[in-house]
Amino acid sequence: MRWLALLISGPMLWAFLFSLIYALHGWACAGGSGPEGLDGGARMLLIGVWVLGLIAFIPLLRLAPSGQERHQRLPRMAVWIGLAATIVTLFPVTVITSC
Amino acid sequence: MTDIPTPAAASARADSVHVAPAPAQRALALHRDLTRVWRNDRGLWGQITAVNHTTLGLRFMGTALVFFAIGGILSMLIRAQLATHQGAFLDTALYNQIFTMHGSIMMFLFAIPMLEGLGIWLLPKLLGTRDMAFPRLTALGYWCYLFGGLIMLTALLFGVAPHDGWFMYTPLSDATHSPGINADVWLLGVTFVEISAVAAAVEITVTILRQRAPGMKLTEMPLFAWYMLGTSAMMLVGFPPLIAGSVLLELERAFGWPFFDPTRGGDPLLWQHLFWLFGHPEVYIIFLPAAGVMSMIIPVMCRTTILGYGAIVAAILALVFLSFGLWVHHMFTVGIPHMALAFFSAASVLVAVPTAVQVFAWIGTMWKGHPQLHLPMYHICGFFLTFVMGGLTGVMLAIVPFNWQAHDTAFVTAHLHYVLIGGFVFPMMAAATYWLPLITGKARIRGVGEAAFWVILLGFHGTFFIMHLTGLMGMPRRIDVYPDNPEWVWLNLTSSIFSFVLTIGFAMFVLDLILQATLGQRTRRDPWDAPTLDWAMPVPSPSYNFASLPISRHLGQSARDAVLSLARGEGALAGAARGRRELLVTSVGVARPHHVAILPGNTALPLYLSASIGVFVLMMLAGQYRLAALALVPVGALIWVWARGMAPAGDLRAVEVAPNLNLPVHHCAQHSLARTGLAAVLVADGTLFVSLLFGVAFLSVVTPATPPPAAGADTVTSLVGLGVIGIALVLAALVGRLNTRSAAALGLGANLLALAALLWLAFSQMDDPTAHARDALRAAVAGYVGLHMLVAAAMAAFVLDQFRRGEITPQTQGALGAWQMWQHFTTAVALLAALVLIAQVGVS
Amino acid sequence: MTRPALALCALCLLAACDGPLSTLQPSGPIATEIAWLWWAMLAGAALITVFVLGLLAMGFGAPRKTQARVWTHGLGLWFSMAILGSVLGAGLWVGERILPRDDGAVTVQAHAFQWGWEFTHEDANGAAMRSTDLLHIPAGQPVDVLITSEDVIHSFWVPQLAGKMDAIPGRTNRARLKADTPGIYDGICAEFCGVGHAHMRFTVQAHADWPPDLSDEGTEQQEGAP
Repeated sequence: MRWLALLISGPMLWAFLFSLIYALHGWACAGGSGPEGLDGGARMLLIGVWVLGLIAFIPLLRLAPSGQERHQRLPRMAVWIGLAATIVTLFPVTVITSC
Repeated sequence: MTDIPTPAAASARADSVHVAPAPAQRALALHRDLTRVWRNDRGLWGQITAVNHTTLGLRFMGTALVFFAIGGILSMLIRAQLATHQGAFLDTALYNQIFTMHGSIMMFLFAIPMLEGLGIWLLPKLLGTRDMAFPRLTALGYWCYLFGGLIMLTALLFGVAPHDGWFMYTPLSDATHSPGINADVWLLGVTFVEISAVAAAVEITVTILRQRAPGMKLTEMPLFAWYMLGTSAMMLVGFPPLIAGSVLLELERAFGWPFFDPTRGGDPLLWQHLFWLFGHPEVYIIFLPAAGVMSMIIPVMCRTTILGYGAIVAAILALVFLSFGLWVHHMFTVGIPHMALAFFSAASVLVAVPTAVQVFAWIGTMWKGHPQLHLPMYHICGFFLTFVMGGLTGVMLAIVPFNWQAHDTAFVTAHLHYVLIGGFVFPMMAAATYWLPLITGKARIRGVGEAAFWVILLGFHGTFFIMHLTGLMGMPRRIDVYPDNPEWVWLNLTSSIFSFVLTIGFAMFVLDLILQATLGQRTRRDPWDAPTLDWAMPVPSPSYNFASLPISRHLGQSARDAVLSLARGEGALAGAARGRRELLVTSVGVARPHHVAILPGNTALPLYLSASIGVFVLMMLAGQYRLAALALVPVGALIWVWARGMAPAGDLRAVEVAPNLNLPVHHCAQHSLARTGLAAVLVADGTLFVSLLFGVAFLSVVTPATPPPAAGADTVTSLVGLGVIGIALVLAALVGRLNTRSAAALGLGANLLALAALLWLAFSQMDDPTAHARDALRAAVAGYVGLHMLVAAAMAAFVLDQFRRGEITPQTQGALGAWQMWQHFTTAVALLAALVLIAQVGVS
Repeated sequence: MTRPALALCALCLLAACDGPLSTLQPSGPIATEIAWLWWAMLAGAALITVFVLGLLAMGFGAPRKTQARVWTHGLGLWFSMAILGSVLGAGLWVGERILPRDDGAVTVQAHAFQWGWEFTHEDANGAAMRSTDLLHIPAGQPVDVLITSEDVIHSFWVPQLAGKMDAIPGRTNRARLKADTPGIYDGICAEFCGVGHAHMRFTVQAHADWPPDLSDEGTEQQEGAP
């Protein structure tokens, strides 16, 4: 069970960050911004959460077992999956028109 | 489950999994004993009382095939209507029913039950066990599926089938715009069928985690099991949003609670979010088992092992998670800001990566091995040709600007058929041709199957390839005539003609199955020379699967080498010496033998229970809400009877599983299958609760505000009421640990007190739920919590009864553990709901 | 085949893509950008399909020594990431370019109902001009359509000018159109909305002068409140 928990921790962190940033974005845009987007503060908040989330993967990477056995490699790959997903799916906070 | 080793310790302790082989016995004697215990009763009654996974798995798949045929006939009607631009074949109202039913049948009554049936039929064989974890639940799921499907079909026959599209968007599906029972048929029928999906998900999860042959590590189990583990986990989390949405929409239609009505604070987009939160993972729920089939069959057809096992498991994991981050790509045109669209666009694109990893791993496997062009391989090639294109158009649709043009056009129709027929139907046909000898014991007749494949391939691509262009030329989905667009005629006519070719192909495929089952020659065991346990048994497979359960030494062998040894009883738990259905339960990680589970025998109880649920559904459909409430009484009573069947009884002595290995029976074991199963149920249940909270948050934050009427609640009174509920539930959660009769009585009282307080609050303090969506959602959350208190009270009463009967002893726990788990969950959701309520009041 | 014959074939193919609702016959910069995106993705997809099926075909044969990582990591991960990354980037870039923005574009209203459209624009005096199933817009400049719905969800779509945008009761959505030249463009409801769905069509008329002089255009126009 602990192994399974380790296996899903990286993707779970992605799921949490994805939901959190999507929710924050919805909340910020509902606050009555114009079509041009959020003011600097709200965008900085989104970027901040994203960066903090990326940093949060570091301890997970450290927790992941080392070694080349399959049961050691899988949790490591899983953390990388979570990290890659966080980078790719949430990078739009930096450049894309927000509201 | 406490004995799951850490990864580092796993290899060190792996030796302790070793189970000594038993001395050989006479195979025929074992076979007779086991058959007597495991077979179905005779005759029609025997079909009704059957709980065996082989019987029910096949029945799931057979029924799904019938629904596939019905859905296919409906699609013929659609294509006939669209063949010309002024089609007068169907009137619009009927056409709307037909395309709605085509989609709903193919999704809910064909694809999902088909994959459940495959999992139920195959997994125990593949993992080296004798049945699924909860045989009665398998049967219950089947009957719910059948009855729900029949309700929907009956509605179609009487012309009152759902007609709002398989996605049931509100407000089109609300009581104002869809009066009549058409929409209710969908909401109630599909929810009824979904009982089977959740039931299957629970037992597939438990079976894979706890019933693998001793020594079959999680990281070494056949890939199909990994795929099904991913699928069942997704079903546990994916179906609850749909169930929540359906219940809310039915409440809106029946009682006027305006969750989705924008004039009273609701939001049509909330329905879309809940629906697609289910709807997109659904696509991967359908794809994963099919991909699992590919990963099983390709290596066998290529006389090699799978390439990149670890990468494939990682890909499954990525798919399971990423597929929950794509749902908004069905909603790119509803006016969501571009940044949010970009999140979901990126996730939709990213999900193609794990898919690509699998596709290339399969092709690499073919390079590594020596592919032999048997019939399953034809269908696998059909998969590659079709699915690759479907995947690429999927990537196109993930691109926001292109989606704005292509969304809701025939392009999407083409794409989804490429993905679903390419990614599901072709692999299922490969699976059917691969495993049929194990089902029928017959070899196939050459020629028909190959011909069927070519006709299907031609018919499919002839129908759908050109449909991409139809969509790009502007033809929207779900229109029945297009008088102003003669340029679409040749495209549609071509699709229609080839669709009939496709139908002929499917008919030939079924003919091939029938010919093989009736006229085929007897086949030898293990006709494919496979490495997996599913073939390490006689053909057709016996009701008990294995005369003795495979142990470590059988896992490294080919099926051909293992089969005789297993039949002679050289594995674990040989025969049926105690005259009851027994199987071995192992630990999650390395599959260390843990205890022996005694399974229930044949019973009609699942039929009675699902029939009584069916009565409730019918009463709801008829608008007889009082009678519907009354119909819940037999449901509750039958669940009680069901639970009584799980009480400790009979011979509770430890069982000799293998030489020098005696294990307790599950009544005396700490972590039984039921406990793992309840944990899985609570995952689904918790997701349902989160879906409701999502609704609260969505309506509070995103929905354009329609001010609610002034609240009528008195703050102090309400807080006192909430306080009473909270204290009572925390008390109930605490006393459960005490493990005494008086504690159970106290728990029962506390739950009843909390329930009474909730009812009092609801009737004295809660605002009219029909006035505003906010109050409707509060009422819905209160109803959810109240229902859980009621069940907690019933469980406490059940435990009290077990104390009275003397069934709870220092050795046997009875239902005590289950009640504790449920009570903790109930207390947690109640407290969380109260916090959310207080926060919501505080903010406004 | 000779070159003229090839050119003729290509022409036939392109002609087959034409039609009043065809996204492949764009008549404005927004629809044109999306059409280019489509053609580029189509070319890429065709190449990938040929590549993958070629690998599949080469798989039939004697066993070969092959490295797992080449397949799972090289092709599965990096090859697909490279392609998908560029497609995503192109998509987001085009998306940003065609979004409605606060740039003083002409604004018109589209109100959907079962089953038809009521459009409103302002005439030279600022009075509301209403029309049913006929939308007037200026040609050669961006126009924002504010889309609302009376009853159920509909979707506003003029394929030759831009992508679609849903009309959702309780909300106002904004879609941006731009027509290169004056003319008539067809529109259609793209979201299933009941038995009248197939007939919920409309026309967009792009005018060279704006606001247009509609005094001699028949009786369809009503001035001011209905």
